[in-house]
Amino acid sequence: MILTKRLLPIFGVVGIAALSACGTSSAPSSSGSGSGSLASCQGTITVASDLPLTGGDATDGPPVEKAAHLAVTQANANKALGGCTLKYTSKDDATVLKNGHDPAQGAANITALSSDQSVVGVVGPFNSSVAVAEIPVASQNHLALISPSNTNPGLTQAGTNPDVNTASLYPGPHTYFRTIGTDITQGQILSFVATQELKFTKAYVIDDQETYGRGLATFFKKYFVQDGGTVVGSASLPGSTKQFQTQISDAQSKGAQVIFFGGTSGNGCGVIRSQMPASVPLLGGDGCQDDKFITDAGTNAVGAEVTSAPDASKLPTATQFYTDFKSTYNEDGTESPYTPYGFDAMNGLISAIKSVLLANGGQPPSDAQTFRDDVVQQLHSLNYSGATGTVAFDTNGDTTHAGFSLYTINGSKWMPKELLTADATGKVTVAS
Amino acid sequence: MSDETAAGRSGAAAGVAQGALVDQLGLSPRGHRGAATNPAMVQTLAALRRLYLLIQQRFPWILLGAIGAAAVGVYRNGGWTLMGQQIKNALVLGGIYALVAVGYTMVYGIIELINFAHGDVFTLSGFYAYLIAGFFGGALGSLATGGGLGLVAALVILFPITMAFAGLTGMVIERVAYRRLRDAPRVAPLITAIGASFFLEGLMLLVFGADNKPTGLSTWITGHAFTIGNVTVDWKDLLVVGMAIGLMIALGAFVRITKLGKAMRATAQDRNASLLSGINVNRTISATFFIGSALAAAGAIVYSMYFNLIQWSLGYRLGIIAFTAAVLGGIGNIVGAGIGGFIIGIIYVFGGSLAGGEWSDALIFAILVIILTFRPVGLFGVDVTTRA
Repeated sequence: MILTKRLLPIFGVVGIAALSACGTSSAPSSSGSGSGSLASCQGTITVASDLPLTGGDATDGPPVEKAAHLAVTQANANKALGGCTLKYTSKDDATVLKNGHDPAQGAANITALSSDQSVVGVVGPFNSSVAVAEIPVASQNHLALISPSNTNPGLTQAGTNPDVNTASLYPGPHTYFRTIGTDITQGQILSFVATQELKFTKAYVIDDQETYGRGLATFFKKYFVQDGGTVVGSASLPGSTKQFQTQISDAQSKGAQVIFFGGTSGNGCGVIRSQMPASVPLLGGDGCQDDKFITDAGTNAVGAEVTSAPDASKLPTATQFYTDFKSTYNEDGTESPYTPYGFDAMNGLISAIKSVLLANGGQPPSDAQTFRDDVVQQLHSLNYSGATGTVAFDTNGDTTHAGFSLYTINGSKWMPKELLTADATGKVTVAS
Repeated sequence: MSDETAAGRSGAAAGVAQGALVDQLGLSPRGHRGAATNPAMVQTLAALRRLYLLIQQRFPWILLGAIGAAAVGVYRNGGWTLMGQQIKNALVLGGIYALVAVGYTMVYGIIELINFAHGDVFTLSGFYAYLIAGFFGGALGSLATGGGLGLVAALVILFPITMAFAGLTGMVIERVAYRRLRDAPRVAPLITAIGASFFLEGLMLLVFGADNKPTGLSTWITGHAFTIGNVTVDWKDLLVVGMAIGLMIALGAFVRITKLGKAMRATAQDRNASLLSGINVNRTISATFFIGSALAAAGAIVYSMYFNLIQWSLGYRLGIIAFTAAVLGGIGNIVGAGIGGFIIGIIYVFGGSLAGGEWSDALIFAILVIILTFRPVGLFGVDVTTRA
């Protein structure tokens, strides 16, 4: 014990020396060529995922979890970290109590993962409300958190969402990243779809009272009004709501041409669709784009237009991923557009770990916290070519290529219609 | 939990609650609590007491006034179309609440127990209906969607079988969880009631999974019945309301006319005296559970026909709302529970339409608190001699 205490500073000095030496002598960013020096790497490094896997979210989390797991399996098979092996741990943030994602469970999971010194990074969470609970824990413990699907802008950009106190989320370093754009972009794109493509001027807006749903509804309202539309009414209903006719009648009497739902399928997106007249379309965000929506909405499913993660199923860079996913799990992996983003988030994390190892002379840093800090630092400067394109983050940890695809139901499946992007000024263009 | 137990005192509760308040204010006529001596204080307290009594006595009129004001608000928002539409929504929800509320009120009337498992019996009945409808390879479903006569036949098969299963479930719950605790302190069966509720919820979660289950019953009855102004009334709407009112009248007649109904009323009134006069009390109480659960099942079937989706946790919230309806109507009073169901439906929908849906639940529970504070006997009180 005493020995370790005395030796630690020495190791630290040696580590810094090694790091600076690396920085001057070789280029650690050229990740492909350096694997030779990793051959001597020893030890097991743990990466984890935290996603909702059961309950009402059972159609959201599992494919992403499988994709993240696949990334780890492949990295181990290819000896991506040389002599070091990756261990994968999966956490479920859904509880029976909430019948789906539960912020309290998410925070407990990240606390448990943080206390395990071998864990250097986590892919997740799936839901923004869970992220609000998890980010402070991860930040305090210097643990990297890469979400494939959190879209609430308040998680990274202060002042964008009155419901989220961004500064309070980071008691420690900024360790949070995401591979998807924010609801500012998604709101702009949805408003563009409503006003420019579908030519609607009157909308009724409902949200599910959660961080994600409320935020998205707020941004949609803001941009819909900016684009010349009128919000004829709005309601904010708890996720357990099963009867929406009061609101639907309100919307109809006020002449709403479309009902916008900010929320998830687990919180009633499909349920409200099943109770709406088929002639009134439903517009929603990525929370609605899953199989649960289709089951719940039943015969009424057609007539919903929702945005979600940019469709990667047709990208040449993703072909290999979908082939591998199919051969591993015997599933297409196309049910959720987020599936390849889970794969890329995990691969981005592995790539960052690899850079750390290379910069540290082919060995994991001896101090767990240093290791985590180094991984976070490498993630900030990450430039990884993944299945969905380049994985890179700006200073806020947000993805550098933000866009959303528009999906409609075709033959009881979600089909991508077009890809839309918004620039910094909020101008939306149809990319493909 | 204290709310429910307070409600539980029914007949005597008004006197007790009022007495307690009077005691606290130091205005007890018996004067055994330190009476207030400061004249200003005495005056204020007397004024408060008058206000309390005023609210208590005029409660039905205050409620009616509030609903009237809400109706005016809805009319101003969207005219007769919105008003008609929302009244239709309110009657549909109210009918379902009424059918569930009757079960609460009957059980309370006869053994003075809030049967917390009742909401879950409702959900379970929805699953029964789903299973029965799909039993012979969905034969019942194709019969129902085949044509007018087939539909009637399917309904005649579905309703009694589902209701019988639900009734038996209710009887089993009574036998297992309540009977042996009938003479135990009141909190004991209350705890087993909550236990039974959790058990049923867990069971449904285990067997049917966490997701919404589409029952397929919503395709059975389709089409519009008639149109008033701009409000289209569907056959489904008529079924819900007709079912609720019809079953309520049948139950009222049953309790009044039949021998078993009379036995129920007698048992509710005085269990020991009933025993002495040769009434099989156990069987009578079982029958009460059977009927209450069967009515909840009828509610669950019409719910499935209307909303299609059933989920394990559905009965929890719906049960509390129906319980509020039972308290509003005067717990123990069957007709009161029925009317209370419709009134709660109206409050739920009008309130949601006016104040925004996020206030619907808060409004219902505010009403629960107000009733328990000011008028624990509910709107219609309990005529102790006829409650069952």
